[in-house]
Amino acid sequence: MISINTYLELIPSLLDGAKVTIQVLLWSLIFTFIIAFIAGLGKLSKWMVIRGISTVYIEIFRGTSLLVQLFWIYFVLPLFGMELSAMTAGVIAMSLCYGAYASEIVRGAILSIPKGQYEAAIALNMTPFQRMKNIILPQAFKIMLPGFGNISIELIKGTALVSLITLSDLTYQALTLRNTHVGLTTEIFLSLLILYFFIALPLILFVRWMERRVQVGRA
Amino acid sequence: MLTTMSKEITEKRIQTEKPFVVYKKVSKSFGDLKVLREIDFSVYPGEKVAIIGPSGSGKTTLIRLLMTLEEPTSGVIEIDGVPLWHKEVKGKLIKADEKHLHKMRGQIGMVFQQFNLFPHMTVLRNCTEAQVKVLGVNRKDAEDRAKEMLEKVGLGTKLDNYPSQLSGGQQQRVAIARALVMRPKVMLFDEPTSALDPELVGEVLDVIREIAAEGDMAMILVTHEMEFAKDVADRIVFTDGGKIIEEGSPKEVFENPKSERLQSFLRRMRK
Repeated sequence: MISINTYLELIPSLLDGAKVTIQVLLWSLIFTFIIAFIAGLGKLSKWMVIRGISTVYIEIFRGTSLLVQLFWIYFVLPLFGMELSAMTAGVIAMSLCYGAYASEIVRGAILSIPKGQYEAAIALNMTPFQRMKNIILPQAFKIMLPGFGNISIELIKGTALVSLITLSDLTYQALTLRNTHVGLTTEIFLSLLILYFFIALPLILFVRWMERRVQVGRA
Repeated sequence: MLTTMSKEITEKRIQTEKPFVVYKKVSKSFGDLKVLREIDFSVYPGEKVAIIGPSGSGKTTLIRLLMTLEEPTSGVIEIDGVPLWHKEVKGKLIKADEKHLHKMRGQIGMVFQQFNLFPHMTVLRNCTEAQVKVLGVNRKDAEDRAKEMLEKVGLGTKLDNYPSQLSGGQQQRVAIARALVMRPKVMLFDEPTSALDPELVGEVLDVIREIAAEGDMAMILVTHEMEFAKDVADRIVFTDGGKIIEEGSPKEVFENPKSERLQSFLRRMRK
């Protein structure tokens, strides 16, 4: 049985890579959604400066390639005295890039809440902060979920690019393995595919579970 | 009848007290469209005023200005002698900030045409959220007060339902309870039955009648229900083209309309 043994030989180093991928993923997810809310709300701000800054950020990071952003943060910033570890650079680039996309989901969801909800909150004398926190965001959050699910899965796939800034993630490990076991190309890439899917699966299920949870009380 | 009794009390207050809400030459434009033209208008403590008039006559805008949902283009609105949209600084009126509006708004409550209940909260929560967050009432007391008001509007058994599980009439009654728990001094009703199926109008009007009969809260009702306005209101205000054309007791306005515009409006409404 050549194949079982070969897989057993491949798996440990792939799992090492998977650990790095998951690490990049989790940190990036956290910062992506923090950035998404800041930039999404920023773009709806009544102050023009904040709106302007948010718009510029969103358009720059949506409009350029993630790969180029990674290169800039990892290879170019050090030339200006900002040296970052590959992990930090990877997480920053991923979060800024996907945060820009996700901010549009936040903004769109907030805008989709009917004007009457704001007016009812004003009539009850809630402050602007209370209106947003207690009335608008809980309703908007439900609308954001499918979009957030999509972004999360995109993010998993995006993590493959960090191998290009020397991080030994899942993809990096697979490419290295292939150099030493050229004959096993199919086996290596099949394992890669399956491992990525199993990283994505819990995320997909989590988003689906959240969507079901927030359905409460809705017609 | 309860209403007649409360009307007598209100009449006495109108003769002896100062008006609680005063509009002074208030205008409102949306772009080129002049919705209100130099309106002068007052409401006395406890007084029930019904505003009638054709669509687009500015009656809804009139009360939206008081709820601070719309800012007047010119003129001053005062609540209990204090400008609503302005602050006095060194004898000059300047535009008020959110803090000032927050302070003033607590005296006003509103019921909307489309109910605008919070769909993600239960009926009870709809009626406690602002008490807790805005008035700082503790949750237990807020719930007691909410239950009392929901009982009053006949929904004491629907506390744990979500708005989507209720009929339009029930939703509007929850919205009334939600506004009442905040103890406003003036309650605004913006066509509260216009979005309802005809068979549900009665239950909402009955609740409003009952609240009106209790007397101490002033009410401004924008409505198309003429019989209801006649019953509930101490005074009827007829608006057309952004102006108040005629006002008076229900008797004067409905039985002896002076202006041609009111006469033709009433003729159309009777059809």
